[in-house]
Amino acid sequence: MKVLLAILFASLVLWAPTTAHAQAQAGLEEAQRVELERARAEIADQVHLSAYDLIDELVYGLAEVPVFASPTPVVLVSVTVPVGLGTGMQALVENHVAAVLLENPTTNIQLVHCPTCTAVVVHSGKEATVVTRGYDNPEVMEKLGGTTGQHALFIDVEAEGTWLVLRARMTKLTPDLPIVWSHTVATSASTPALLRQPDDLKSASEARQAYLDALHGRGPVAIPLRFAVRTYAAPFDQRGNPPPPFIWLQTGVELGATDARAWTSSLLVGYSFVPQAYQGIMAQGRISRLLTGRTRSITRPDLYLFGGATVMSVRGLATGAFQDEIVNTDDIITGLEEDLEPRTSFGALHVGLDLRLGNRIGFSTFLETMPSLRRSRNMGDYLFVAGVGFQTLGTEVTLWF
Amino acid sequence: MVFWVMLSVAFVQQLTVDPAPGILGTKSKTRNYECDRMTTAAADKRRPGLFAPARPRGDFIDRSVVVCTERMMRPGLRSARDEAILSNLDREVGDFALAAKALRPELLQKTWLVETYYPSAQVSPKIAFATKNALMGQGLSVSDRSPALGTSDVAVITRLPPELAYSAACQRYFATGSLGENDVMLGVVHRDPRETTLHAGLCAGGTWTWLR
Repeated sequence: MKVLLAILFASLVLWAPTTAHAQAQAGLEEAQRVELERARAEIADQVHLSAYDLIDELVYGLAEVPVFASPTPVVLVSVTVPVGLGTGMQALVENHVAAVLLENPTTNIQLVHCPTCTAVVVHSGKEATVVTRGYDNPEVMEKLGGTTGQHALFIDVEAEGTWLVLRARMTKLTPDLPIVWSHTVATSASTPALLRQPDDLKSASEARQAYLDALHGRGPVAIPLRFAVRTYAAPFDQRGNPPPPFIWLQTGVELGATDARAWTSSLLVGYSFVPQAYQGIMAQGRISRLLTGRTRSITRPDLYLFGGATVMSVRGLATGAFQDEIVNTDDIITGLEEDLEPRTSFGALHVGLDLRLGNRIGFSTFLETMPSLRRSRNMGDYLFVAGVGFQTLGTEVTLWF
Repeated sequence: MVFWVMLSVAFVQQLTVDPAPGILGTKSKTRNYECDRMTTAAADKRRPGLFAPARPRGDFIDRSVVVCTERMMRPGLRSARDEAILSNLDREVGDFALAAKALRPELLQKTWLVETYYPSAQVSPKIAFATKNALMGQGLSVSDRSPALGTSDVAVITRLPPELAYSAACQRYFATGSLGENDVMLGVVHRDPRETTLHAGLCAGGTWTWLR
């Protein structure tokens, strides 16, 4: 009995790590399989739009130069997708081929259904028994009841390095199976999808020209018209009064380094006026950097980071707070005299974010620091970081012309 | 301060687009790129708007652009052999078609058939498809017909060493009438599982000739 128990214990001891290892291995393989499937689905998601583009290009070519002079029945025999991307993409591509062909009857291709063409056919003759697909053996297909299609269309999409290549061929379903037409088109991995409408196809060159026109449409120079509001932080001790919000109207010129407008610089002048309160002029230089992508988008908003410098000169009763000392009643009474009204000039540095829609309209917000007024007791800081206090919070709405 | 903020943003953005391995890029990601160095004019044509082309009278400094494009398929999604073959498929079959047309001009008027001998059932039809399109591109008359052999022929031929098997198959295709006088078969062959290239041979009149 003891011997039996010892053997059982030894078996358990030896078996346990093996089982644990096997389970861990199975878990790892399952995890790898899931990860591979996820990667495949992600790539298929990215590639299928490019495949659609290639199909659009193919059908556009067929519509421009039809293979057949009159409407001809054609069997869509085979659509294959890149090795490794599964049948889900195959169904998508096949449906798109059918949809675009139906939308473009000028191709003279009438898609017809032919179950015997794609079925596996076994034919036993005097010489041998041959197993083929129906389209490979038109004589047998004829014996099975004939075909509704006269031609077979084959489409293959394959990922070859950085290129997605579409190949198509049309075969006449006669015993010799001659290929009557073939075509190969390719697109690069880095080319954005054209997303053409199936009922209004354009050639790739036309689509590219439309893209370039949209890209170059504005040119490197733009004229911004900007409405800005600057508000000033209240002092921490609440003893002084900050300046009132300043409203500015600015315009000038903005220059992009390239059509991509990844970097832009602008030089603007501005004017501000509120009766009985203040008026001012300013000059501003700014550099902006695109954060969302390497080129501005013509379909979605762009986000820019900008920084720059401003020189402002203001005058009027409400500008008395632009000084280091606290404004008191005497200052205000003195300021009522026209010759003695407060006036000052100062510089400021700002940094902010600008959200632009189609480079036509933008909304931005920024923080500004005025080094010469950093000790002012009339203003506090909205943000104090790395020894720099930002006394001003500004928002802007900009229109570009 | 504004200068340093903008410089930092530019630096980080540069890191994100730099294809070289580094802080933000791994070596495996870099291996998945195919890079070409080109002039600014060529780069502007390929990626409009991103690069300022050279001025008509030239720039102060010589500029060139390295354009890196990520491969369609990530490493590991397909077998290394299939990936290597498929990555160069268009060029390889184009070379075969050109060589076939140039080396055997007397066969131009015949009907061309294509047969592939590749271990993967998924990749093999793709090689045949590409080869047929390449031959069509050379203006040749191509058929979708596949030459067939009897089971006894196949049983014998598969036991032969490769250097004899293809010529023996070619003889049998011709002898059984599967390939006629007016037919030429271009065979695309993957001879060794460790190879990353394809070979091609011509079967005409029962004679097998290696093209490459």
